[in-house]
Amino acid sequence: MTRALKGGLDRRTFLAGTAAITGALAAPGLLRAAPAPVKIGLIHPVTGALSYSGAQCRAGGQMAIDDINAAGGITSLGGAQIEAILGDSLSKPDVGASETAKAVEAGAAGIVAGYASAITLATAQEAAKTNTPHIVDVGVTDGIIALGLKNVFRFSPGYGKIAQDAVTALDEINKAAGAPAKTVVIVHEDSAFGTGTAKLLATELPKHGFEILKVIAHPTPTRDFTNIALQVKAANPDIIIPANYYNEYVLFARTIQQQQIKPKAIYSVLGGAASSYKFVKEFPEAAEGVMDTNHWFNPLSPLAQARKAATEAKGLFYTYEVYLTYNAVALLADAIERAGSTDKDKVIAALNSSTWDKHGMPYGPTQFVNGQNTGAQAVNTQVLGGKIEVIRPAEFASAKVKFPLA
Amino acid sequence: MTRLSLLLVVFAALALVPLVVTSEFWLNVCVLTLFSALIGQAWNILGGYAGQFSFGHALFFGVGAYTVAALQVRLGVNPWIGLVLGGALGAAVAVAVGWLTFRYGLRGSYFALVTLAFAEVFRILANSIPWLGAGEGMMIKLAAGPGMLQFKNLANYYWLLLAMTLACFLAVWWLDRSRLGARMLAVRDNEDAAAAIGVDAFAVKLQAMALSGLFMGLAGVFYAQRYLYLDPGLAFGPTESVEALLVAIVGGIGSLFGPLLGAIVLHALSEAAQAALGGLPGANMVIYGTVLVLMVLFLPRGLASLFRQRPQPVEPPDA
Repeated sequence: MTRALKGGLDRRTFLAGTAAITGALAAPGLLRAAPAPVKIGLIHPVTGALSYSGAQCRAGGQMAIDDINAAGGITSLGGAQIEAILGDSLSKPDVGASETAKAVEAGAAGIVAGYASAITLATAQEAAKTNTPHIVDVGVTDGIIALGLKNVFRFSPGYGKIAQDAVTALDEINKAAGAPAKTVVIVHEDSAFGTGTAKLLATELPKHGFEILKVIAHPTPTRDFTNIALQVKAANPDIIIPANYYNEYVLFARTIQQQQIKPKAIYSVLGGAASSYKFVKEFPEAAEGVMDTNHWFNPLSPLAQARKAATEAKGLFYTYEVYLTYNAVALLADAIERAGSTDKDKVIAALNSSTWDKHGMPYGPTQFVNGQNTGAQAVNTQVLGGKIEVIRPAEFASAKVKFPLA
Repeated sequence: MTRLSLLLVVFAALALVPLVVTSEFWLNVCVLTLFSALIGQAWNILGGYAGQFSFGHALFFGVGAYTVAALQVRLGVNPWIGLVLGGALGAAVAVAVGWLTFRYGLRGSYFALVTLAFAEVFRILANSIPWLGAGEGMMIKLAAGPGMLQFKNLANYYWLLLAMTLACFLAVWWLDRSRLGARMLAVRDNEDAAAAIGVDAFAVKLQAMALSGLFMGLAGVFYAQRYLYLDPGLAFGPTESVEALLVAIVGGIGSLFGPLLGAIVLHALSEAAQAALGGLPGANMVIYGTVLVLMVLFLPRGLASLFRQRPQPVEPPDA
């Protein structure tokens, strides 16, 4: 039996009414507590030939989003959470462009894409049609920036700078050791990356007194490097420079070891496996002493080390795809934060004036000129004692270079 | 309704797509679908009508793409001229490959393997010749404007591609009712019998190669102008070769509307699989592949066979 309250209201009606009024009063507060999410398109080749790298990129981007959301989201937008729009380019430029258009139409405030240069060229141009901010995560070809698109920003260094730095570094490492190395053999895969590297090194190294004994091209995939290794052995160079992708790099390094070729250095530019934890873990003897010029985090940065630990806790290697995409997303989020808006012009202006430094990279604060972060640089790494150490520049070095090896 | 009327009605309806579809993404899907229909139909001329299965149609695609790109980047030739030359060179290379292979009587799987090898040879050549950008590829300068065959508006790319595709489909419609088409079918069904009744099989196959190469070359020109970047793998790799024959086989080889049907169904399937399982990398491709296998198993003559009228059984004469 229900007991009636004074004025004719029974208890049940009173409770229901109170709940309704409380709910109505609380509703605006709840709405304020949940602003519209900020959407970011992550377009990567998670299936197809580039799927491993694409998946690593996606993992890095999602980790950044999780961290930003856990830290309160975009505070200038009332703590708006970031939401990923995931796109799979299937390792094809035309599909990458299509996925970019799809993400933009789904309301993406910005795009982070596309790992490979050819795909990035397509995603950048597609994003440009709607003036959507586009952060390049990995694509190194300078043609991306040469397009002159106002919406495109690259956090990491371009190929031209990496290659020039690699030449300078090799020259300095050699001179510091009394210039014991004089001859070079370049072994490269025959697509854009390997050919470009070989061409540049074959032009630049002689200016520093190195003699190029041989330039050997091979297709990808190549599964037997015996003949190439024998050619290298016959040339007997002081330095071997491989420029190829992961599998070929590993196979070539192992064949060099099997053939007992002992150069003074194995030195790479964006070496497919030279800075790979997987290579070092699985083939420690072949990897020992290998030098590389590559994207790398700042080993002295606690922030980078914390992110590395978090990545490894997920069972992933902390590869360049992970930290470059992580930082590309975080850079875009920082620009949205400072813009206090997802308005595309305002975000692009915020990127242009960006001085973001929470990246854990050996870069210094971001500074964009025509879309390129001018402070970005590659570093030199060397596998020493089964670990990948940074050996150059000195301010980021975690170990001293070991040169010559033999 | 005649087949020509139907064809024109279908393409007139397709021409209205950019006016109806406001989504850039879906218009892009329509562009990709039309592109597949174009290369599928180009392959169909040689494979479906003349019976010569090619596994290396990317060769002619790559020649067209590299022609417009190299002429523009190296010599400053207007891409509209590159469009004409790209198609012409696609046809010329096709004739050259045909002449080299058919004169030695290569047929069937041997012909398929040789076309695959030619595509690979051209990929290696493009990889090695600095004037063609070698392994680094070629980037066409961004200069949006109809004069440079580049468009800010995706709809214009769509209509350009639609015009190319219509030309290709009209060529096939013409083949269906021409002597050349009849000779191609005769060569396809029994080359020796065709030769016995006076058909010059060698010349017929070369003409099929030329026509097929022409439209693949035009498709290459379109690709280069749309994405403004080429490398040997993109131009001469197996992707376009596989797509061309897949579209034609799923749609129905030797039929006018087969490649269009194949392209629509394959892209719809791909998008549906991606929408359903896009978050699980690779799963969409598994679904796509499974459905494809089922379609080939249960519709070996392609989707077009669903619309073909079955011959009525002849009533036996009364005893």
